[in-house]
Amino acid sequence: MISRIWRPIKEGFLGVFRHGSMSSSSCIAVTVTLGIISLFLLFSVNVGQFTQGIEQSVEISATVDYSYESAQQEDRISLAIQSIDGVDTVTYYTKDEEFQYYLDSFSSEETKEAFRPFEGENNPMHDTFYVTVKDGQDLEAAATAIQAIEGIDSVNFGGASAVKLMRVLRSIRFAGWFVALLTSLLAVLLISNTIKVTITARADEIAIMRNVGARNGFIRSPFVVEGIIIGALGAIIPVAVMIYLYRSLYEFTGGYLISQMFTLVPPDTILPYAVVILAGIGILVGLLGSFFSVTRYLRWKR
Amino acid sequence: MIECVHVYKKYKNGVNALYDINFKVEQGEFVYIIGPTGSGKSTLIKLLDGEEIPTKGTVKVVGIDVGKLRHSKVPVYRRNIGVVFQDFKLLPTKTVFENISYALEVINLRKDLIRRRVREVMNLVGLDEKGNSFPRELSGGQQQRVAVARAIANRPKVLIADEPTGNLDPSMSDEIMALLEKINREYGTTILMVTHDLTIVNKHRKRTVVLEHGHIVADLAEGGYVQHDQ
Ligand SMILES: Nc1ncnc2c1ncn2[C@@H]1O[C@H](COP(=O)(O)OP(=O)(O)OP(=O)(O)O)[C@@H](O)[C@H]1O
Ligand SMILES: [Mg+2]
Repeated sequence: MISRIWRPIKEGFLGVFRHGSMSSSSCIAVTVTLGIISLFLLFSVNVGQFTQGIEQSVEISATVDYSYESAQQEDRISLAIQSIDGVDTVTYYTKDEEFQYYLDSFSSEETKEAFRPFEGENNPMHDTFYVTVKDGQDLEAAATAIQAIEGIDSVNFGGASAVKLMRVLRSIRFAGWFVALLTSLLAVLLISNTIKVTITARADEIAIMRNVGARNGFIRSPFVVEGIIIGALGAIIPVAVMIYLYRSLYEFTGGYLISQMFTLVPPDTILPYAVVILAGIGILVGLLGSFFSVTRYLRWKR
Repeated sequence: MIECVHVYKKYKNGVNALYDINFKVEQGEFVYIIGPTGSGKSTLIKLLDGEEIPTKGTVKVVGIDVGKLRHSKVPVYRRNIGVVFQDFKLLPTKTVFENISYALEVINLRKDLIRRRVREVMNLVGLDEKGNSFPRELSGGQQQRVAVARAIANRPKVLIADEPTGNLDPSMSDEIMALLEKINREYGTTILMVTHDLTIVNKHRKRTVVLEHGHIVADLAEGGYVQHDQ
């Protein structure tokens, strides 16, 4: 029957409306907590993006000792590098290519001429392997492993500062997610507690409903709809503010902070997910909070 | 209609509220339950509407063993009986019309039938004009009439009332009494009414069960209250 679906919905809306002050206090609880969650959510996603950006720009260069420049030796070295855990790509350049690359970095012809004597036999460059890793976390370990390969002269990777920065970003991101998770849990507690208080005030109502013959499910469904509505209403403001502020930030900064390395996630990529997550938390918490509170008060009296 | 056999009630806190209650109410009867405060009258009503479970003995209403009902089945059982309370127990955020129709929605009655029936009982209790009022906008007597209308909306065979006039002044009490008598007469509804009010008992004479300290001390078929030694 259609009324089985419509009655709780209609009653739910009426309930929100008729218990105005209770509804608004629950809504505010939802609004505040979702606001905080959205901050940490966007923060963590962007820090994650920074870390990734840095990780991708970092590669290891491993030079080959002069006495291991034979094709046979270098094949062995290349295979050894590829078999290291976490290694993504290995690219090889001969010392001549390296020298050419070095020359090309100068624009004036005079400077280039000045380096001519070092071409050919006198080339001070080494044959070099450029190695990228799948996960920035493996960078140091990979570098150490490459260094240990027989025939490797020196290993270099953006230096300790890159690793340090990645470590810092990693822990910031972790902290961000942690706080987001923690505030989500707090939100669940706060919201369901507020709903519990508003339903406690209506424990008599629930008892009366049982008195006049309403089954538990019949009593519960409008309350659950009310919870959903309150969760959704409470999510509107934080979602709107988040969209507006993040778009403004993105436009104001031009899409990155300080340098290209800190590229912000574009609003169109991140916001749809963020909206779904926030609205989802609001609605789910409203739904569960009211469900469990009503269920508790259904058992209050026989 | 109503039958208590060797019913005892001891509350969890150790209070013995009822001892060996035996009585029977036939269909169409109107019975008063009277007795001093604390004598167990409300306890008896709570055993009848399923809110409390007897410690011993059986309570049967319309053929249902009320004390054996599962918690989730209690509301379903209550569709067979109407209950009126001293404090009305109306839903504060529903209008008069909605309060009454709620008792019919729970049995999934068709919408047009609900409307018709609510109008009918509102007319019966003399509140045709008050459908859109909220309970707080009505006098005590009017609220109690709404409660009566709700209790009889789905034509229960039994109506039990715990001091329905307890919060009302004498003229309002008379209105409610007239209403209950009308329901008893016209629908043949069995009525069991707890009261404190000896004026009512003596004015509208009916079978009267007297409770004292949890015992039935008198069951007067001809009604009227007989003062006796305490
Ligand atoms: N829920 C309860 N828990 C424990 N004891 C109770 C409970 N309800 C009632 N009692 C006790 O049971 C006894 C009978 O109470 P009951 O309410 O049935 O009396 P009553 O006849 O309705 O009195 P009144 O005329 O004042 O309404 C009293 O001693 C009371 O304190
Ligand atoms: Mg009482």
